[in-house]
Amino acid sequence: MQLTRREILNDLIRIFRENFEIDNPGTDDDLREEYEFDSIDAIELLVEIEKMLGFALTQEEKKQAMDIRTLDQVCDYIENLAVTRD
Amino acid sequence: MIRYAIILKTWQLQETKDPLIIRKGIMERRVVITAGSVITPIGHVKDEIIRNLINGVSGVKALRKDDLLANYIHSNVFGTVDYPIEYDFKRSHRKTMGPVAYYACQVVKEILKQAALDDDFISSGRLGVSFGSTHGSPTVQRDIYRNFFSGSQDQFSSVSAVDYLKSMVHTTAVNITKMFGITGRLISSSTACTTSSQSIGLGYEMVKYGMQDAMICGGADEYDTTTVAVFDNLLACSTAFNDTPHLTPRPFEVRRDGLVVGEGGGAVLLEEYEQAKKRGTNIMAEIIGFSCNNNGGNLILPDVEGTKETLRLGLKSAKIRADEVDFISAHATGTKMGDVIEAQAIHSIYDNSPYITSLKSYMGHTMGTCGVIEMVLTLYMMEKGFIAPTLNLNEIDKRCAMIRHVTELCESDIRVAAIQNFAFGGVNTCLIMKKI
Repeated sequence: MQLTRREILNDLIRIFRENFEIDNPGTDDDLREEYEFDSIDAIELLVEIEKMLGFALTQEEKKQAMDIRTLDQVCDYIENLAVTRD
Repeated sequence: MIRYAIILKTWQLQETKDPLIIRKGIMERRVVITAGSVITPIGHVKDEIIRNLINGVSGVKALRKDDLLANYIHSNVFGTVDYPIEYDFKRSHRKTMGPVAYYACQVVKEILKQAALDDDFISSGRLGVSFGSTHGSPTVQRDIYRNFFSGSQDQFSSVSAVDYLKSMVHTTAVNITKMFGITGRLISSSTACTTSSQSIGLGYEMVKYGMQDAMICGGADEYDTTTVAVFDNLLACSTAFNDTPHLTPRPFEVRRDGLVVGEGGGAVLLEEYEQAKKRGTNIMAEIIGFSCNNNGGNLILPDVEGTKETLRLGLKSAKIRADEVDFISAHATGTKMGDVIEAQAIHSIYDNSPYITSLKSYMGHTMGTCGVIEMVLTLYMMEKGFIAPTLNLNEIDKRCAMIRHVTELCESDIRVAAIQNFAFGGVNTCLIMKKI
């Protein structure tokens, strides 16, 4: 079942709170600048996204995520993955 | 004359380009200890540690029952840090730290506060780090291997992206540099029980020979039953005092039955003397000598000739006579053979001149941390004018009796002290420091 953008966002907000101690980040906040969210965190986030989607990401798909800077972009990335995989 | 002028000009040019060229040519610089902090089984705060040394309080307690090996180990004692420590590290730092790095970063945070170094100096490249642990973080390593061997069919990544950074052998040193923005040299010794004494010695040489102006040195080791299992299998652990942990280890004593593994962390700040004096900072002592050698043979058994050579080289490095040393913090872990060999070596080099204490009698063998802990505790005794006795030393083994054991708390002005440590692999170190 495909997740709505709202559901994706809510899941991400929970993940950011529980895994990265980042409370309610703004959807346009620069995660690196505002919260010191770095490439190591991004790798950890990808594992959580895999669990959210229920399938493992390919190396190529993971590499595409490395330029993401905002929560909005994370939502776009997940939506695109879901569409591509469908 | 012209030729002389050209040479002088070249020399001046080199001086402006690379001050090390000049330093190497003209001096061996004096190195002083300007801050120290430890986390030990007998306390973390200086006053508490001193109180426990004076009152003869042991930090050895029952081994915690974890889910790995603890039920199969014959030794049931451990030098444990069982009190809470208030860490205040940001998430961006914590995410690459295992338990061992927590100890390391906490003691370094405390020495930087004590020393009040300028932020500019800390990140100048003239301050380096020489810090290690026995094998990184075994707790994190265990989690990694648990995942590997769990037989899980989980299709998602089971090993965290930061597991290596948390567990790797130089995790203490690099987490220190990350947390405090230190950009100078980095050395990460990992030579078992000489890890931190070697770290201090190598840091001392960095400053002495002008490679760095200051060095943060030390070591840490976290709670780990696998280390106990190793010594247990080698029949080197104490097993006869499982019901009375505070009565073991018993260095130099007739009823000693082996070492007690412990945990902890410790750091000292070494600074070039003139810089420290100019800053007006507190100088705890001067390091005047360091030696490190290897037995060149058996990787486990102690070696009297190798040990004697270390002590001899230490004195030679310090340019002092044996009778000028007032106090020796012996390695003395409480093993049957190790204590005898060390006593023989001390007697051979020092006769029975200096006072001898085994500080491990208070907390067990804190592995890679023992050198720095023993140095800082000796600095405390130097400052307060007392020598703590070896705990549990009720009846001295005749084979160890030829040296000057401290069996009761005594007032004493320690002017020169030696810290001796010996490790698996045949590595030996001796650090000599002097009150100024």
